[in-house]
Amino acid sequence: MIWAYIFISLPVAGLLVFSLGPILFTGWVSLHEWNMLTPPSEMPWVGLSNYVYLLTQDTIFQRALVNTFIFVIGGVGSNVILGLAFALLLNSRLRGQTLWRVLYFLPVITAPLALGVIFGFLFNRNYGLVNSLLIALGGTRQPFLASPDQALYVIIIMAVYQYLGYYIVIFVAGLQGIPQDYYDAASVDGANVWQRFRHITLPLLRPVMLFVIVTNTIGALQVFDLVFATTNGGPANSTMTVVLHMYNTAFKFQRMGRASAMAFILLAIILAITIVQLRLLRDRTQE
Amino acid sequence: MARNEYRIGALSLNVARYVIVIFGAIVMVVPFLWMINSSLMTTSEITRQPPVWFPATPQFSNFTGLLEVVPMHRLYLNSIIVAAATVLGVLFTSSIAGFAFAKYQFPGRDLLFYMILATMMVPFFITLIPVFYIVRQLGWINTFQGLVVPGIFSAYGIFLMRQFISTLPDELLDAARIDGASEPLIYARIIVPLVKPALATLGTFTFIGVWNAFLWPLLVISDRDLMTVPLGLNSLRLYAAEARNLHLLMAGTALSVVPTLVIFIFLQRYFIRGIALTGLKG
Repeated sequence: MIWAYIFISLPVAGLLVFSLGPILFTGWVSLHEWNMLTPPSEMPWVGLSNYVYLLTQDTIFQRALVNTFIFVIGGVGSNVILGLAFALLLNSRLRGQTLWRVLYFLPVITAPLALGVIFGFLFNRNYGLVNSLLIALGGTRQPFLASPDQALYVIIIMAVYQYLGYYIVIFVAGLQGIPQDYYDAASVDGANVWQRFRHITLPLLRPVMLFVIVTNTIGALQVFDLVFATTNGGPANSTMTVVLHMYNTAFKFQRMGRASAMAFILLAIILAITIVQLRLLRDRTQE
Repeated sequence: MARNEYRIGALSLNVARYVIVIFGAIVMVVPFLWMINSSLMTTSEITRQPPVWFPATPQFSNFTGLLEVVPMHRLYLNSIIVAAATVLGVLFTSSIAGFAFAKYQFPGRDLLFYMILATMMVPFFITLIPVFYIVRQLGWINTFQGLVVPGIFSAYGIFLMRQFISTLPDELLDAARIDGASEPLIYARIIVPLVKPALATLGTFTFIGVWNAFLWPLLVISDRDLMTVPLGLNSLRLYAAEARNLHLLMAGTALSVVPTLVIFIFLQRYFIRGIALTGLKG
């Protein structure tokens, strides 16, 4: 069918030029030194030295990796626990379902950059509302985003605030897919709330759990906007993330080879984590 | 007696549920309310300790002052152009390729479709440097096509549309062919109207994604006349930090956020269904 080829020609060509081709090109660039000013055909070959440099000498990159992992563990863990908890609450016969979902969903559709500006104010050391609240409750003033020990955790809070509503909606949809008959049957057999949750809800929610954990992890590993808008990696690189460091390396310092190697290391991490998560959660489903 | 205790237990459990849900909702909403309140305050009111909840007199002049610093109307217009063009592009490329993959047999079809599936989960940062290079070589820096064109090819969109179009009966197409309809006509007159719900879902999410996008516009656009809303907010942020014009920054943030909030509140049912649908199937 000639028409089929005509129909797919533009989309497939577009994906080749803007997606598949660039992946291969990034891999090629990662083995070179390149400032994007010389033609790609003339960039000097450096083998694996970009990778070696990143993993052995680039302390900012190593710091960024650690920060990104903390961000992923804190953010994904909180989203799963809070998302499931609120989904269970909202799924019980609570009045005002629509209102609650709208309110919880507001941050999801807000630009991360705008949320970053707002949270920069809320967590300000001198006049932020969070500090006012702390002091009113008898606490002491905290530096939050200005502190190398606290800033990363404030950014985790921001990320959870932003995406919690999304995961609540997904968990609610998952809960609604569990037939009520199972709960009724378990109640007849004398199962209490906890037993019903442990032996019906959790096992049947595993596919949804898998989706939430995998997509949230992949997204969190790429965090950029929220950090850029609040701390820009500081203070003292305490909130530097992999993608922010890659952005700086490529577009501030014009080291495209090194930035491309960074991208490939992050891609390898994403693939490895996703495969491990799929294995773990699948195996348990077969128990 | 036992039954009464059970009722009291159920009632207090219910109250506890409401308390938690309401507390959570307050936490979610306070940042937005605070943003709107402080967009009407003076800088000294914003930074006062203990905090002021409401402005003594609402400073509507913040918004006129804002327009002198940042051309918000221009930013809106730019964002609307970019978002609309990207949404139309994504809907067209996704539906036409989805149609071809769903309803035609041709050599190489499965191979090409697997290739598209493989690019579906590719993170943006992997393609960032080459795509920037391509756009720069094309001379598209500081142009709308530089913002739009790389974004109109969506592997996810093709996948979604293919799944949707596969469920349509082949008899519809055959009947149209017997009546003498050409293949492009079948696409335009039969397929597109039937997949409107899926197009609407894909379009809504694409729109929000493009409207909020920051990193790509930051790389492509530096010309103030071509900035989108997030870019304008970013330059306002840098300006306000130096000039201590926090009231202007809050007015700008409020103006950048409120339109999406209003759109969302009107279309919320749609959004949330779309997420439950595409999220679980994707």
